[in-house]
Amino acid sequence: MIPNFIGYYSLIFGLASSVIIFILSLKSYKIKIIDKKIFSLSFLQFFFVLTSFFSLVICFVISDFSNETVFNNSHSNKPIFYKISGTWGNHEGSLLLWLLVLTLFLFLFLIYSKDEVKRYRILTLVFQQVIIIGFFLFVLITSNPFNYLFPKPVEGLGLNPILQDPALAIHPPILYIGYVGASIIFSSSLAATVENYISKSWAKNIKIWILVSWIFLTVGIMLGSIWAYYELGWGGFWFWDPVENVSLMPWICLTALLHCILVLEKRDFLKTWTIILSIATFTLSMCGTFLVRSGILNSVHTFANDPSRGIFILSFLFFLVIMSLVIFFTFYQEKKEDYQKIYFLSKEVSILINNWFLMYFLSVILIGTLYPIFLEVISNQKISVGPPFYNKLIVPFLIFFMLFMSIGPNFRWIKETNIKNKFQLILFFFLSMFLSLIFLEKIGRTDLFNSLLLVASLHLVFITIKDFFSKKIHNFSKKISHFGFSLLILSILLNGIMSSEITMNLKVGDSFNFGKEKIFFKSLKNNKINNYQSITGHFIVVDDKKNIYEFEPELRIYDQPEVVTSEADIKTDLFGDKFLVINKIKGDEYFNVRYQIKPFMIWIWISTLLLVIGGSISLYKRYYEK
Amino acid sequence: MKFLRFVIVLVLLLNYFSITYANKNDELTIKISKNLRCLICQGQSIYDSQSDFAISMKLLINKKIDEGLSEKEIYKILIEKYGEWIVYDTRFNKNTFILWGLPVLLFFLGGAIILKKLVFRKI
Repeated sequence: MIPNFIGYYSLIFGLASSVIIFILSLKSYKIKIIDKKIFSLSFLQFFFVLTSFFSLVICFVISDFSNETVFNNSHSNKPIFYKISGTWGNHEGSLLLWLLVLTLFLFLFLIYSKDEVKRYRILTLVFQQVIIIGFFLFVLITSNPFNYLFPKPVEGLGLNPILQDPALAIHPPILYIGYVGASIIFSSSLAATVENYISKSWAKNIKIWILVSWIFLTVGIMLGSIWAYYELGWGGFWFWDPVENVSLMPWICLTALLHCILVLEKRDFLKTWTIILSIATFTLSMCGTFLVRSGILNSVHTFANDPSRGIFILSFLFFLVIMSLVIFFTFYQEKKEDYQKIYFLSKEVSILINNWFLMYFLSVILIGTLYPIFLEVISNQKISVGPPFYNKLIVPFLIFFMLFMSIGPNFRWIKETNIKNKFQLILFFFLSMFLSLIFLEKIGRTDLFNSLLLVASLHLVFITIKDFFSKKIHNFSKKISHFGFSLLILSILLNGIMSSEITMNLKVGDSFNFGKEKIFFKSLKNNKINNYQSITGHFIVVDDKKNIYEFEPELRIYDQPEVVTSEADIKTDLFGDKFLVINKIKGDEYFNVRYQIKPFMIWIWISTLLLVIGGSISLYKRYYEK
Repeated sequence: MKFLRFVIVLVLLLNYFSITYANKNDELTIKISKNLRCLICQGQSIYDSQSDFAISMKLLINKKIDEGLSEKEIYKILIEKYGEWIVYDTRFNKNTFILWGLPVLLFFLGGAIILKKLVFRKI
């Protein structure tokens, strides 16, 4: 009860300090001197939100069910780890977390931007405060995490068991850091527009924030898809589900920005485009929050929804977009220097081509996600836009994208006089064509687009490995990330075309053959573990080389709320995963057993990690160059 | 004897064909059920779901395949019954031509803008 009050009032104090900072910074903007009070107030504001956040955590830890959020999302016999992670596993708590990261980042921005133009700093602060105030109001008006319940309920309703998982416990905070980082990019690009400060030095500074959000967004998306892979029980890691799309869109936008900012930094143009991308990235992050929270989307992730929240976020989003458009059109001035000669064979143009393709992928996903909603509103017809749509529209273009990617990044700035290593490029191309042909012939898949994509991705893998050992190019972070990307596409593709699976209904003692493997259902165990009942099957798989694999897939029947989840057992090695999951068939001694072989699964995660490592190296270099 | 051997071989062969035929049917069932949405679950296909609805749908698909209906005919029947919502593979028709066309149109538009900026620049 006491933490509840502390939490609520610190939120209100936080909002008050926000308003004061806003007014003070407007004053400072006029007199061009930053009021020292702003720093202490920003820290105070962060401190208030932190206090509020920790009081909510305490409410969860001590299971204080007089708090409505705790009542709805927790249960006294849940393990302590999930009590804590339950804090942000729900709508109210996750917004508080969002607010916490917002205020923390603003404070960090104030500390790390000391050498920059004062008015630009103050303006960034102003725009960031607008966002923060918006979120404060959103939390306090529509989704207060500290609603008080009287009389106090004896027991809570419990957290959705499929969310009780280590990967998912840290997935939201990491994703949010990525999203919120985009808000700093948004505010500072608006400030830079007003102050006419879009320049090489601005690009240098903002690139750190772009990298930080990009890294966190990548890790966040990866954690989410790892979770989907082992927890949702169908063995897929990406379903083109609307909520997955919504996290991928800001990522694509941010990736485009990450490349485009290089042009601004080195050549001082593409300014308009940089600003548009910065605004778009944040808008897409906000759109993501709106679409997830309003419950418009039909998806696995919709665990909290309420139309009034949707309307608030939507109007706030419109306000921010209109504000940024007005600022952009009133203050943006194109400078004379923008007109320089551009040669077709240059790094600038290859980055433009990269952005062009990325924007296409973005538009496919955006339209694919939003179109069904619009169609339903306009004509009351419900359609599904599923994986086949995305595959059909993305794959053909991805082939060209990857071919460009094997040539473009090695071009010089301004003008490339001759394409280096033409011979090697062609040689590697024929080599990858030859290898793909043999490989596809062997596994008996000769679908046109898959074959072409395989050629293109193999080619890119070869080229990036070759670049890795070439001494002429020093950009180590780029080498790693580009190699990571090529490996990612290759492993997703191979995983997709080589996966095989079988579904059978079995009872204890049964066995069946699958390809060269034999699967035995040995025994069954029942266990009672604190908040769920567990049924563990014991399976043995023998392959053609007489290797024995033991599988223990589990069914968990949670009591609060009563939900059944299947925990797959996965055997991972470098060449692929073996994935076994069971499901109960109602009122029967039979179990539905699904056994899958998923080649190169681990390489999908490794290559994503390579992307992240590449980004981190770049960040490290930036930080120490300063 | 010769005749008996012939019969045995024939039976075995037929058996073999029926097995491969059955496998083919299974593959088709999997393919179709992966492309159908489980209407009572959230974001799961019929294939991935274990709900009563999904189980009865799988039986229905098997039955329709045994009746000799093609993949397209099965989709057609299901769409008539449950609406287009049930199929993941969005069809191209008067409702969805914008969905399919707009991204590609934007791609060419983007290309045109880049070309214009590069070729017709005032220097």
